[in-house]
Amino acid sequence: MTTAVSIPKTGGSGGHTAVAARARQVVKAYGSGETRVVALDHVDVDIARGRFTAIMGPSGSGKSTLMHCLAGLDTVSSGQIFIDETEITGLKDKKLTQLRRDRVGFIFQAFNLLPTLNAIENITLPMDIAGRKPDRAWLDRVVQTVGLADRLKHRPNQLSGGQQQRVAVARALAARPEIIFGDEPTGNLDSRAGAEVLGFLKRSVDELGQTIVMVTHDPVAASYADRVLYLADGRIVDEMHSPTAELVLERMKSFDARGRVS
Amino acid sequence: MTVLKTSLRNFVAHKGRMALSAIAVLLSVAFVCGTLVFTDTTNATFDKLFASTASDVSVSPKGVSDKDTRQGRVRTLPGSELAQLKRIDGVKSVTGDATSQSVTVVNSKGDSIGPSSGAPTVGTNWDTTEHRSVKITSGHSPRGPTEVMVDADTADTKKLKLGDSLRIIAVPGEFRAKIVGIATFQVTNPGATLVYMDTATAQRKLLGKPGVYSNYALTAQPGVSNDQLKKSVVAELGTGVKVQTKAEASKEAESDIGSFLDVMKYAMLGFAGIAVLVGIFLIVNTFSMLVAQRTREIGLMRAIGSSRKQINRSVLLEALLLGIVGSILGVLGGVGLAVGLMKIMGNAGLHLSTDQLTVKPATPIVGLTIGIVVTVIAAYIPARRAGKISPMAALRDAGTPADTKAGRIRGAIGTLLTAGGAAALVVAGNADKAVDGSMFLGLGVVLTLIGFIVIGPLLAGLVVRALATVVLRMFGPVGRLAERNALRNPRRTGATGAALMIGLALVACLSVVGSSMVASASDELDKSVGADFIIQSDTGQPITQQIEQATHRAKGLTHVSDRKEIEGAKITLPDGRTATEDLAAADPTYADDLRTPVVSGDLAAAYGKDAMSVPEGFAKKHKVKEGDTLTVAFKEGRTAKLKVAAITADDTSLDKGALYTNITTVERYVPANLIPADIMLLAQAKDGQEAVAYKSLKAELHLYPSVKVRDQTDYKKEMKNQIGQLLNLVYGLLALAIIVAILGVVNTLALSVVERTREIGLMRAIGLSRRQMRRMIRLESVVIALFGALLGLGLGMGWGATAQKLLALEGLKTLEIPWPTIITVFIGSAVVGLIAALIPAFRAARMNILNAIATD
Repeated sequence: MTTAVSIPKTGGSGGHTAVAARARQVVKAYGSGETRVVALDHVDVDIARGRFTAIMGPSGSGKSTLMHCLAGLDTVSSGQIFIDETEITGLKDKKLTQLRRDRVGFIFQAFNLLPTLNAIENITLPMDIAGRKPDRAWLDRVVQTVGLADRLKHRPNQLSGGQQQRVAVARALAARPEIIFGDEPTGNLDSRAGAEVLGFLKRSVDELGQTIVMVTHDPVAASYADRVLYLADGRIVDEMHSPTAELVLERMKSFDARGRVS
Repeated sequence: MTVLKTSLRNFVAHKGRMALSAIAVLLSVAFVCGTLVFTDTTNATFDKLFASTASDVSVSPKGVSDKDTRQGRVRTLPGSELAQLKRIDGVKSVTGDATSQSVTVVNSKGDSIGPSSGAPTVGTNWDTTEHRSVKITSGHSPRGPTEVMVDADTADTKKLKLGDSLRIIAVPGEFRAKIVGIATFQVTNPGATLVYMDTATAQRKLLGKPGVYSNYALTAQPGVSNDQLKKSVVAELGTGVKVQTKAEASKEAESDIGSFLDVMKYAMLGFAGIAVLVGIFLIVNTFSMLVAQRTREIGLMRAIGSSRKQINRSVLLEALLLGIVGSILGVLGGVGLAVGLMKIMGNAGLHLSTDQLTVKPATPIVGLTIGIVVTVIAAYIPARRAGKISPMAALRDAGTPADTKAGRIRGAIGTLLTAGGAAALVVAGNADKAVDGSMFLGLGVVLTLIGFIVIGPLLAGLVVRALATVVLRMFGPVGRLAERNALRNPRRTGATGAALMIGLALVACLSVVGSSMVASASDELDKSVGADFIIQSDTGQPITQQIEQATHRAKGLTHVSDRKEIEGAKITLPDGRTATEDLAAADPTYADDLRTPVVSGDLAAAYGKDAMSVPEGFAKKHKVKEGDTLTVAFKEGRTAKLKVAAITADDTSLDKGALYTNITTVERYVPANLIPADIMLLAQAKDGQEAVAYKSLKAELHLYPSVKVRDQTDYKKEMKNQIGQLLNLVYGLLALAIIVAILGVVNTLALSVVERTREIGLMRAIGLSRRQMRRMIRLESVVIALFGALLGLGLGMGWGATAQKLLALEGLKTLEIPWPTIITVFIGSAVVGLIAALIPAFRAARMNILNAIATD
């Protein structure tokens, strides 16, 4: 798969589903000359709107880098990235910051919340920063969905890890971004808390129509997604629709084996 | 060994974080060493000057006093001793000096060429035989009554050249002369202006009589010691004159300068001490933050078997390294500072040469000791805290441990101290005796300061919240984030603010006292001074007969009152004991010009024949009543019996404690030629002719630049200027402590930014713009600075008001809070906060988001 094109431009599954974000011939390289390391090697990808996409791959495959580039947290060496119809490659920091603030939501693996703010303040922070009033009804619904109604006045250090991640999910959802990026959002949680958070993410896609992209190396986490993209050596090598944990694991094993023989 | 290695590695790894602490140590040590080097150099310069100008043995009239110059008294030796001295065995040579410091020298434009620094103008005879310290470098020596020579430094600074005409105003009269020579000092002349003339001219024009001398300088023959020679001289001349060896004369001269230098030295060391104190806060903060950031690492060290002691020691070792590096740089900086100070003093008229830069071994020893001891002491508490970290900390998610517990005990102790201090201040304010009061004032100041430092963290919570509602809410969510950040570690915010508080409290206190002094004196001037004009010398020159006559020539005056000071009158009291006091001899109109309130009797009567007044304190102390007769033995005259006709009140600041009598009374007991010159003239204008009189006085006295004519407005302005200058000097010295405190704010912010790297990354990721990030840090900085300013200004104003209340007994009756200064300082603190945040804010805004999020 030298061209690394994995999906047709018009979208794989739905056909009529619009594209929330896309990457075109994206290269990300570090260093130069002999020490040059290519993290992303001419990647083309379309993220379908209203779907839950998981990006998988072994360590060093470039999955996190891809997500960071798509989210405008990192710059690319060449190629183009679009959020909806806006090309974000080449945007100045100011515009990028605005884009992240108004159109993108984030959930990190750990340390998602400001320790000085309580849960509700953390949830509304992106809107506060933007100077926007949160939509009360929507906020209530989000808070209800993630089950935090009785924890809103708590500071992060008074919440469990799972609760903290749920607050992070609520924050990402509250501003109604066009797209939410999660960087191993359940990586630090035990399986029960992880399942809870993933359930919320899935529900927000299914019930609220949210678009989510999540990086993970956990087949169980990936099984919550509508579609799984596999990355290896900076290229998209495969994809799977409506995955189950077993199928994902199976596929991963086969990549591992292939990697070893080649 | 490993402990040392870890410490060294940590020190090097965190050198950026240590930089500001090192600068704080450096600055304090540099100030201490700079002061020592500067005063040692000044001392050495004067020592050398005295050593090179003093003769082996000198002979001078008895009773020479510091006040002679001001009182226009010229004490002379008749000149007949010269021949006698020459005959003494062991004398190699004798020269007669005709020297006077009651001299004002004026250039062709009418301006004085004397130094502005307070150094004297010296008129003296040029004797070709014996001048080791000065060399003629241009022109020739002065001959005849119209030729003079000046020193090269004065010629330089006052732009004089050969052929220029000078007017020399001395006590006996004035004369004109031409500059025919310029002489250069062979040692450093710290600032005196010298005017040389030939011996006959000096005798007649400066001393007022041909053939007389002010002193003799003797050189001993080889093999004859100065002490031997002195003995021979005393044997020859008897005890009617003062005979001193070179060592004695130098010692006397040095002790005059030395005591002034000592005052300066200890004042400057005091300010350095304040800076050291402020620096401690900075160092404590730095080490607390380093320990907090290293919690996980320390936990790991503990987990693999390091003892508490080892951890403790490793932190202290780092402090030791910091202290050594900072102090060594500080000692070097101190030498540089001393050189800079010498340059500044050079501009002010005190010339010192860097050739004589004196660094005594004690200087680096003192500097290093202070720097190292202070650093290690400051790091002790954080080091102990590091030792207490449990091995389990290694496993915990790092983050920053919350330090929100300010501690109830701490609060109680702080409140107790503050309350105790406040009580002491109240006692001081209500004290009847200034001495007791000042003790309570000192106690109150120290206790409230320590109290505020101790409850600083608690106050931080209150004050920051209050400031937040007023200031930060305007900035919306960014303001709220800044508020939370300032509050998250009250101990740190408290310590940072307290450092700033110390300097600003002193500024506020002194500004309150200073402006109260001006206000009180102005009020008193309005209330009790009837005179329209005050004629005085600012340079300590006498008001000569000519000046007095010129004053009397002015138009539009009703009268001119003379005011003299009669030194050292021995008063025998009713109880038989004696007291030596200076008398204030004046014209009767003086009682009108300065309406000193009386507690009993009539002040006008004190100017009657053989009458006087005494102040209340004196009367109480010595049990003197109105109507008593005191026996007054004049130092230079006969003994009089004077009746106490009035007792004056003590709560005044002008002429406080003066014993008044009429000049005519003094004249009956003291020979006319021994009566001192006036030290002040007061004059009153006829009604409606004030402007005319003022103009006329100025015109008449224009020829005498040694005295100044001032009306009441001028006088108030002058007073305000003088106090203002003094305050500026003190503010300048306090600036050091404030700069160290500002470094403390920068330090706290810089370390906070490092500590909150992940948060910063997170905030940037979810959409906080660089601008908002910078603003957030700036606001935090401003809030910390304003917190310090509010505490400092409040505390300082309290101290100042108490001091005023206490000093009301001494004439400081009016409390004036200098609001413009206070408000300027407050706003200035906000600006300082903004500036302190510049670099930390810039760094925070520039952080790479992904790296920041990924940091431990």
